Amino acid sequence: MNEKRKKGSIGKILLWAILIIMAVIQIFPLIWLVDFSLCSSNEMFTSGLLVIPERIRWDNYVIAFRDGNVMHYLLNSIIINVLAVIIVIFISMMAAFACTRMHWKLRSFVMTLMLLGMMIPIHATLLPNYKIYNYFHITDTIWALLIPYVAFSLPQALFLMTGFLASIPKELEEAAVIDGCGVYRVVFQVIMPLLKPSISTVAIMTFLNNWNEFMMASTYLSTPKWKTLPFSVLEFTGQYSSNYAVQFAVMALSAAPAVIVYIVLNKHITKGVAMGAVKG
Amino acid sequence: MRKLYSNKKVILSLVAPGLLVFICAILAPICLSVYYGFTDYSGMGTPKFIGLQNYVELFHDAAFGRSLFNSFLLALGFIFIQHPIAIVVAAVLDKIGGKAESFFRCVYFIPNVISVAVIAYLWKFIYNPDFGLLNNILHAFGVKESVNFLSQQTAIYAVLVVLIWHGFGWGMLIYYTGIKNIDPVLYEAAAVDGAGWWTTFFHVTLPLMKPVIQINVTMAIISALKQMETVYLLTGGGPANSTQFAANYLYQQAFKAFRYGYGNAIGVVFIALCVAVTVILNTVFKEKEV
Amino acid sequence: MNKRVLALLMTGVMLAGVLTGCGGSSAGSNQSASNTEASADGEVTLKVFSNLPDRKNGQGLVEQMIIDDYMAENPNVKIEVEALDEEAYKTKFKAYAMDGMPDVVSIWGQPSFLDEVLDAGVLAELNEDDYKDYGFIAGSLEGFKKDGKLYGLPRNTDVQLIYYNQKMFDDNGWSVPTTYDELLKLVGDIKAAGIAPIAMDGGDGWPMATFLTDIMVKVAGTDYAKSVSDSVAAGNFDTPEFKQSVEVLKQLVDAGAFQTGYDAQDYGTAMNLFTNGQAAMFAMGSWECSMAKNEDIPEDIRTNIRAFTFPVIVGGKGGANDIAAWNGGGYAVAADSAVKDEAIKFLNYMYQPDKLSKYGWENGVGMSAQDQTSYLTGDETELQLSVMDMVKNATSVSGTPINDCGPATFKTVMESEIQGVSNGSESIDDFIKAIGEACK
Repeated sequence: MNEKRKKGSIGKILLWAILIIMAVIQIFPLIWLVDFSLCSSNEMFTSGLLVIPERIRWDNYVIAFRDGNVMHYLLNSIIINVLAVIIVIFISMMAAFACTRMHWKLRSFVMTLMLLGMMIPIHATLLPNYKIYNYFHITDTIWALLIPYVAFSLPQALFLMTGFLASIPKELEEAAVIDGCGVYRVVFQVIMPLLKPSISTVAIMTFLNNWNEFMMASTYLSTPKWKTLPFSVLEFTGQYSSNYAVQFAVMALSAAPAVIVYIVLNKHITKGVAMGAVKG
Repeated sequence: MRKLYSNKKVILSLVAPGLLVFICAILAPICLSVYYGFTDYSGMGTPKFIGLQNYVELFHDAAFGRSLFNSFLLALGFIFIQHPIAIVVAAVLDKIGGKAESFFRCVYFIPNVISVAVIAYLWKFIYNPDFGLLNNILHAFGVKESVNFLSQQTAIYAVLVVLIWHGFGWGMLIYYTGIKNIDPVLYEAAAVDGAGWWTTFFHVTLPLMKPVIQINVTMAIISALKQMETVYLLTGGGPANSTQFAANYLYQQAFKAFRYGYGNAIGVVFIALCVAVTVILNTVFKEKEV
Repeated sequence: MNKRVLALLMTGVMLAGVLTGCGGSSAGSNQSASNTEASADGEVTLKVFSNLPDRKNGQGLVEQMIIDDYMAENPNVKIEVEALDEEAYKTKFKAYAMDGMPDVVSIWGQPSFLDEVLDAGVLAELNEDDYKDYGFIAGSLEGFKKDGKLYGLPRNTDVQLIYYNQKMFDDNGWSVPTTYDELLKLVGDIKAAGIAPIAMDGGDGWPMATFLTDIMVKVAGTDYAKSVSDSVAAGNFDTPEFKQSVEVLKQLVDAGAFQTGYDAQDYGTAMNLFTNGQAAMFAMGSWECSMAKNEDIPEDIRTNIRAFTFPVIVGGKGGANDIAAWNGGGYAVAADSAVKDEAIKFLNYMYQPDKLSKYGWENGVGMSAQDQTSYLTGDETELQLSVMDMVKNATSVSGTPINDCGPATFKTVMESEIQGVSNGSESIDDFIKAIGEACK
């Protein structure tokens, strides 16, 4: 009995050890980042893992916030991502409904075609898309980001939506149709409320996919008008190449919104990702 | 109802937006890529049709070969380093329960929500030989010389570490969900049989996780192929192409070397590869299940 | 739980509706302003695309000062600047070249950059006669011409330098090397003192290539330009002078001349090593002379920065006064600019003798491509004066650095492979073969 308990406690210690080591590995670089962002540049060159700054330099953050255009870029990021999420939800829901419930010849072909999009590497379309957007004069506008963001989130969203739709019984719709509802009302008033869990999953996945994207943004945008949050970091490193501490501050600052939102909505996001990833 | 659900106009109105976006942003560019892949277009002026010349050259291009090899290395790294750790941690997390469970789950996932732009620059600093975190750790253990983690020989592994670190939370979360979905009755049965934690893990958890592992492995291979952002910012594909990846290489060729046509040829091969790998993996895994 | 998520989402939706409502309309009005040449009140928007992201120091500051002056003098003109650092700039430039260049752009008067750009006809032709009185140094316009027509104006005279920390040298009893052998010995001494000898931005590739240019000038002397252009034309770099130059570079690397990890570090990192006193020297062009006036750099380092060019190599044909220098960077106007006249007016304004040259000189940026003698203020840093003397006393000037002498593919391959050959993962013969093939 005694031995068994001992063995149990050793096992417990081992489990805790694994968890804590992994947590340190995952989080320590970020602590290091925040630590150095509060130092002066010269203090970084001292040895030792973390530095206790002589004076905490909040002014690094002031400079970072001002010269990194953080407010403007953050707002752009929010606008673009919220719009992308809404558009993706509506388009994918409508298409999913048409492809699973309604009767037409090409439906499986169209659905397979759109699902193929999941396999296409985003970056392979950078070159031709740049050419196309230029031709239509939409580079450096919000459309240059919205269109690809929606397009590349759509296949997965469609996949998730069709999956959920299949599990919803048809009886509800039938009742609605008998009551005289048209197809649009069925979709938006009957089906949409039932799809809530899948809508939140799609929203979270779309957000996570696009929030931190910068490759397309840096190719398709030129002026600060629609640049998104990652540009605070990308532009800053050139401007302040001789001041490391301020660079650290801008990095911490531009990572903060996503981290804070994640911590607050942790449970929902975890659930959404888990649902989306396992099904997708 | 059937009549209502067969209305062509309504169907079109529901499908058209999705189809339109898909055609404009995915299908049309691919067609354009195929076209430019057959030309020597520099990005300016007029393109000249040169047949398969780009593809012939691509076949002999050492840098492109290196990018595929790097993708292969990366996939191995994901499958044999990241995933085993992720599974074990997920299982431990499931076992520990309580407040700690959700706390650690949250911590592990945090790097995932941070932009690659921040991650790449952060790791550039971590690897810095003069004041970087890793070298400071080594110094603390008495190593005198500064180690250059991003050297020709080691840069690809350094990139690998960053990607494994960054994606760990994601992989872990999926395994964790898989484990949560396992019927507790099975564990109880194992416990009745007197199986210890490890035995249960190997004989109950792992076999039941097979479909989840398959999904994760497929995703790992695909994401290894698609890798671009981290490398673009961390090493730029260097030193001397040692950390080159297909997406980064096509970007460099098109926008740096004035070879838009060749860049598109790389793009076409790249797309074909991704589609082929996905299809092959899916069929292999499906056949196994039967 | 879903109720809360949904509620959040709905707030987001409404917020987005409000925001895009105003965002969209303002974007629309902006666009119409920049597309029409002159709206009712004569407003003109000029887009300037620059390779100088640091607008508070050095050359970028000078550029910004002139832009501010111009806007103050012409209240109807609004100038929008987009600035990226060199690599990103060139990438984006090519993307722009597909169609829709900004109005005024930074360019480089070198074949690797300009050949394709001029072939595509994206730059506006300038009237050379307009610039007779601008005091351009003889020959400095050549790189910006094609078939006798002028397409751009040079901004600087760039000299490849090795900056060093005078105080550190004095404290340790080191002296500026006059021969290559002395340099090798110096490298050994500095290394023994636990300091990185030369800070090198090896991650980018081009600084090593310009460094190699200086070596080759000392090996081949005045034959440098001909040797390189012959090699590019023949697609064969297997010449004794080139091979020896690469060997010198390799020897320096093997002796530990560059900092640990030089082949993966970027411009800022390399420069910071030097400006933080962790490296004794820094290999870079004369445009960084403004370090001496940059107040972000500790004073005891900033005031002690001096420079020399690569020392003489025994048996080489180049003397101490044969220098690696060129008129590379400059400005041009887009051919299809909707506000071309205003753009050219602004370009000419920049090159008025009391703008680029004067401001540049006062801010210690280095040498302009114009006659600057009338701007000596007596306030120059010693670094500035010494670089000016180098150019004044030069017996020969190299012209275009080696990586920029060939087509764009050659440049890309060279700048990537030079990392490999320097760090020993590629043999010198393979390097020579690879860059030769890239010319074909």
